[in-house]
Amino acid sequence: MSAGRTLRLIGYVTWFNVRMLLVSEFFVLLTFISPLIFATLAFFLFRLGHGGSGQTLLYAALGSGMMGVWSTTLFGCGGAIAWQRWEGTLELLVNAPTRYDFILAGQTFGAVIFGFYGIVTTIVWGMVLFGMPLQATFPLVLPLSLFAAVISLGALGMLIATLFVLYRHANALGNLLEYPIWLVAGLLVPLTRLPDWIQPVSWVLAPTWGMEAIRGATLGDAPPWLAIGMCVVLAGAYYVLARVVLVYVLDKARRDASLALR
Amino acid sequence: MTGDHASLPHAPTRPGSPSADAPAIEAIDLVRIYHTHVGVIRRRPLDVEAVRGVTFDVRPGELFGLLGPNGAGKTTTIKMLITLLLPTSGSARVMGFDVVRETTEVRRRIGYVFGGDRGLYDRVSGLDNLRYFAELYGVDPRQRDRRIAALLELVGLTGREKEKVEGYSRGMRQRLHIARGLLHDPEVIFMDEPSIGLDPIGARELRQTVRSLVDAGKTVLLTTHYMFEADALCDRIAVINDGHIVASGTGSDLKSAVLNRTIVEIETFGVAPEAIDRLRRDPEVIAVNTEERDQSQILLIQSERGPEITQRLLGSLGDTRVGKVVAREPTLEDAYVHLIASTSSTDGADRAAALG
Repeated sequence: MSAGRTLRLIGYVTWFNVRMLLVSEFFVLLTFISPLIFATLAFFLFRLGHGGSGQTLLYAALGSGMMGVWSTTLFGCGGAIAWQRWEGTLELLVNAPTRYDFILAGQTFGAVIFGFYGIVTTIVWGMVLFGMPLQATFPLVLPLSLFAAVISLGALGMLIATLFVLYRHANALGNLLEYPIWLVAGLLVPLTRLPDWIQPVSWVLAPTWGMEAIRGATLGDAPPWLAIGMCVVLAGAYYVLARVVLVYVLDKARRDASLALR
Repeated sequence: MTGDHASLPHAPTRPGSPSADAPAIEAIDLVRIYHTHVGVIRRRPLDVEAVRGVTFDVRPGELFGLLGPNGAGKTTTIKMLITLLLPTSGSARVMGFDVVRETTEVRRRIGYVFGGDRGLYDRVSGLDNLRYFAELYGVDPRQRDRRIAALLELVGLTGREKEKVEGYSRGMRQRLHIARGLLHDPEVIFMDEPSIGLDPIGARELRQTVRSLVDAGKTVLLTTHYMFEADALCDRIAVINDGHIVASGTGSDLKSAVLNRTIVEIETFGVAPEAIDRLRRDPEVIAVNTEERDQSQILLIQSERGPEITQRLLGSLGDTRVGKVVAREPTLEDAYVHLIASTSSTDGADRAAALG
């Protein structure tokens, strides 16, 4: 398949998945409402603790938004597989003559991009209700930061989704990963406040560097090149790992006849 | 559904296809064992042999039927042939490509249609479903919309394509399934019980569409447990039971196994199991199957004696209340029931009896 067709395929699957998520009340709630609740709580807490400066509120807004992005990534990637298993379309996707990793990539990017709407709603919420200023120290770097965050989270989502292809009860794992990653990736609590032994764990997580890249471009003193670079490196590593795992997973699914199980 | 398949734009002939005399589908001694477990706390492994050495071939352009009761191994066989399942042993080729190793080549050349409600995205339109699968199946974007329009016409969904699938009837969903399975103009089409749950008119339209696909040169492997469907459509039929092919040939070939028999149909009301046992013990009786109706039971008794055995059979029923009695020639259904009953384990015999 040519590079153009591959990009078209991934783009189309991404768009289709965004549409599917938009017609799901659960995901609309998860993406648009829950970050607002997190953000509201965070705004009040940060006001109490830090006097509510504009920078602090934006820090909280971005963190809350990223919490929503992570939740959508987790449930959008894994949940989509579980839901397709339920609808009976998973077998058809796996059985298409197209490489399944491209389909999976489109699905996960769809979920991540959908999740990023949550950041926008959170910022608008903060501006309207809490008088939060909209600022970006490096406005030209910000799109790059957002793009880096999207690809790294998408690739991580893809890696997680491979497990959902294999195990029909992988939702339990998804639920387990939601809150700990909020903490370990420093989305609301700065990483420096966490125990030292947690830091290496946070370094291999896409949300950590995605958050760092976005906050660096909006609140930082210098462009967040390290964070952007780490996002790209991690995205590559996740993708390679996901492909390796996927070969094993699809072979095992054909052996175990697990694709049609609900 | 319309049957004008000639209007469909065809993809150019793909390289690497086998010669005309090579089988389009070839299954050699296919075996599939499912490893599962029983018990919740004490989990014990359990091996279930779903397919036990299935061998058959399908010629290019042929409509081949795999006929068997539920649980006979039809779907498992199809899933091995379409690369979704790995055979435990044996081998299979589709259009000359090995289903285990050359999965992409096989997938490019096959369409897979199954019956039932699943396999579609309910919350978007039929058109969205087709466009999405067209991307996944690598349909040329320049031809996509023309191809979809032709398929919608073929399956009779033109004008309904923008409605959400969740509002489709069972028949419409089934037709959308067929359109999806044909998007990439596959050479071989696997249809797994496509008429299940359809009303008689929908089933008849579906059969017309299937026939038109074969007329357009497609190879079709159809599984069904409806005898009349297999008889009406298929060039050849293989009867599968308990994971084995128990007979194969044309409908006439299969019927020939019971041609010398007479079928006596006796309508009874509240027939006792002992009376049925008495019939089964009769040395002139080959098989007895029962079919439950609302208020009555129809006994289908196969015998090599002519209609003159009828009085004797009625005598064996004792004081059972009897309604209509008919002696007739055997049909494919009788041949099927005979094959299933004579090749089943106890469970299978019960099932065959239930099939009537």
